[in-house]
Amino acid sequence: MSEAEKTVRAASGAASSKQVDGRVPLESELGQTTIGESVVTRVAGLAAREVPGVHALGSGAARAIGSVTQRVGLGDLRTQGVSVESGEKEAAVDLTLVIDYGESIPRIADAVRSQVIKRVEGITGLAVMEVNITVNDLYFPGDDEPVEAPRVA
Amino acid sequence: MTRDGDLWMSGRVRLARLAGQAIAVSDGVAATTGPAGRWLTIGSQHTVAGVLAVEDADGRVDIEMHLLVHWPPQVSLQQLAQQVRGRLRRSAGMAGLEERLGAVSVVFDDVLAETRGG
Repeated sequence: MSEAEKTVRAASGAASSKQVDGRVPLESELGQTTIGESVVTRVAGLAAREVPGVHALGSGAARAIGSVTQRVGLGDLRTQGVSVESGEKEAAVDLTLVIDYGESIPRIADAVRSQVIKRVEGITGLAVMEVNITVNDLYFPGDDEPVEAPRVA
Repeated sequence: MTRDGDLWMSGRVRLARLAGQAIAVSDGVAATTGPAGRWLTIGSQHTVAGVLAVEDADGRVDIEMHLLVHWPPQVSLQQLAQQVRGRLRRSAGMAGLEERLGAVSVVFDDVLAETRGG
């Protein structure tokens, strides 16, 4: 089987064993442990943010909407730009990143992938089958500063 | 039923309180009541946050604990769950309630972290 086929099978396996209500129950002799899918999503998002060179997560539109919803208490930076499909034993993660200008995108992507796998596997016990990364913007220092309106004489 | 100060408490509420204490002394976790205070055990004068205690017809009490985990957790969530579950079973044994304690479920509902803007 080719690597591509393995990836597709692994991803479909994660989706097909997905639990209802977005929860992943883990049975043991002493009782059941349930990890909410939102927990897996937040762990992946927080892990990605730990990598130096990652400026933000999410597309430009998502960040613009997110900054507004966060101000009114509805938004959550921890899940912005992160999508997770998790099953009983496996998870697949999709990330959308904004990277600081000047950083090597392949190096940052590799570091993010390693960090997300380390954190999600270590914390939740799920095997991460794939981490798909989309870099959709670069951050330039000064991007956040408000642009002064031109004065008209 | 047993007395705690001036209050009579059922085994169900006592076990819920022990579950709340097990959560409180576990590093890296906190109880959550969830949306609209959904996960609470309410006794006559005790309210235990983040714990659902359900008694069956045989008198056994199933406990469901709802937790928030602080970022970054120092151990895996399964280990955290085992620690909390173990503490509850030990304290139930010391209180003479081990026969009443049924299934102990641990549910992780959220992660708490300081995030930078983006």
